[in-house]
Amino acid sequence: MTAVTILENEPRLSVRPRFVSTLLAAGKGLGTVVAVLLFASFGTFALGALAGTSPGAVALGSDATPAAIKAFNHNIGYDRPLLVRYVDWLTSALKGDLGTSWFSGIPVAQSLADRLPVSLSLAGLALLIAVVAGGTAGILAGMKRRTLIDRAITVVSGALSTLPPFVAGIALIVIFSVGLGALPSGGYSPAQAGFGTWLSFLILPAIALSLDAACEITRQLRTGIVAAMDENYVTGAVVRGLTPRRIMFGHVLRNAAGPALAVVGLHIPRLIGGAVVTEAVFALPGIGQLARDSALQGDIPVVQGILLVVLGLVLVSNTIVNVLLERLRPHAARSDS
Amino acid sequence: MNRIRHIIRTNRTARIALIVLAVVAVLVAFGGWLAPYDPLKQGDAILQGPSGSHWLGTDNLGRDTLSRLLAGSRLSVLGAVEATAVGVVLGAIPGLLSVYIGRTGEWLLLRLMDALLALPFIIVAIAVTGVTGGGLHPAMVTVGVLFAPTFFRISRSATLGLRHAGYVEAAELFGSSTTRLVARHVWRKVATPIAVAAANTTGAGLLIVSSLMFLGIGVAPPAPTWGGMLATDLNYLTQAPLAPLAPALLIMATVGALNLLADAIREDTPAARTARVRTPWKERARVNAH
Repeated sequence: MTAVTILENEPRLSVRPRFVSTLLAAGKGLGTVVAVLLFASFGTFALGALAGTSPGAVALGSDATPAAIKAFNHNIGYDRPLLVRYVDWLTSALKGDLGTSWFSGIPVAQSLADRLPVSLSLAGLALLIAVVAGGTAGILAGMKRRTLIDRAITVVSGALSTLPPFVAGIALIVIFSVGLGALPSGGYSPAQAGFGTWLSFLILPAIALSLDAACEITRQLRTGIVAAMDENYVTGAVVRGLTPRRIMFGHVLRNAAGPALAVVGLHIPRLIGGAVVTEAVFALPGIGQLARDSALQGDIPVVQGILLVVLGLVLVSNTIVNVLLERLRPHAARSDS
Repeated sequence: MNRIRHIIRTNRTARIALIVLAVVAVLVAFGGWLAPYDPLKQGDAILQGPSGSHWLGTDNLGRDTLSRLLAGSRLSVLGAVEATAVGVVLGAIPGLLSVYIGRTGEWLLLRLMDALLALPFIIVAIAVTGVTGGGLHPAMVTVGVLFAPTFFRISRSATLGLRHAGYVEAAELFGSSTTRLVARHVWRKVATPIAVAAANTTGAGLLIVSSLMFLGIGVAPPAPTWGGMLATDLNYLTQAPLAPLAPALLIMATVGALNLLADAIREDTPAARTARVRTPWKERARVNAH
């Protein structure tokens, strides 16, 4: 019996060392993620305490006496210590309850659920464009290094990265909406109403949002490829008579993609944060618009809820990127600095 | 100072970048004074193109675009500089110290920086501005705090690399205190990568400041800013499609000059200079300061 179990277990271990190491990396990352989540969510929550306003002041209006406001806050437990309220907030947030808006009374989770699809499709599409366009340009520049193509790509990506995201958006509107009249300059239609319409509303904002990340991916990928091309294993592969294409995609890219992938991880918060500006330019009803409106209004629970959800999104996607990095380069020693 | 003089003498790109930045500095210092018109004065001639009396045309309320551009440069650029300064102070010093303060403190600092890195600039800046009741300073300090991890990482990794350098160990053997060690021997070497990152970050900061101003965060409407002008232009694109060009180009030129300057400083280290002479055919992998 035991022999059978051992026989059954042994090949599994030797077949999946990589899977195990991936799991290990994920587990190691989890400790960090939890610590980061606690730090950042406490910061988010403490932000509300900085505000001079309270639910009582908002609900009772400007005519209320300080005593009435105090009583109201006491009734809903707002006068408890900050740490107690934080633990309370975080535990109910993990169960999906983010509280209700002070002004409209709508549950925060509901208004987020309404708007999240818009922001997620925008950020996802932008990420896709950034990876495809930036990746192609980076590989092209790295393969044809120090040719006209390489120089053109370097100059163009350098120039585009100085472009503020909203300027890119305005330029795209001027060209495609005002000039050609081909695409709508703003607004949104859900994917259920037709994929083509959905895409026509999202393509310009996604391009505008993706530029920054695309340029950075191009730059990192080019640098990585140029550095990897000088390695001995490339010389070895050339000597063995492999085709340039095979060397690039089989050997070089695997080693050169690490920094570029790390850039993707770093840019995910910026894609989600930058979406605020893009949403404003293209009048998209996403969480960025909600964040701006409720922050200017002083609707603290909504602001806190948005920050927490964005934080969760960023942490999840960063963990995915880290696991991918681990899979891509088995020898990747994750140094902490 | 010698380094900077050397860079100006040897590097043409750096010279151009510095000239652009000097012009921007003049705009920041004297922009409001140079403006031909009152940047808030409204007129009847609205949404005009460039002409002799209005070099860059007028906006939707008949205000002179050039005057608004000049008067708006101070808030726009100083906001970016403020954010970078906060980031350098809150990032570089803890980064240096993190190597020396022991394991628990080090772990906590690293996780704190990870947490800051996970927060998106613009949403957090908007939230803080909204909660604290407005004003540009809360927004810029927030952005600066979120810039801190960049400087933290750079100064930490530079310090880690230096800790076992011969001259640092020698100083340690001679009995120099940690404070003296850091202040005298380590800090100077860390300063160069910090300067590179600061130039890059100021550029990124300008983009973020302009984005915030574009969203109407931190600055009340009539006051001119580069980002705010673009926001007004957006509403009149069909009548004046070229109006956003001037503020956009000004932002791009400033950011581009800062990035070029950062590249020039980065490439002018003594090691890089010898490497260039000895192995001109080999491209050096650039250290990414982002």
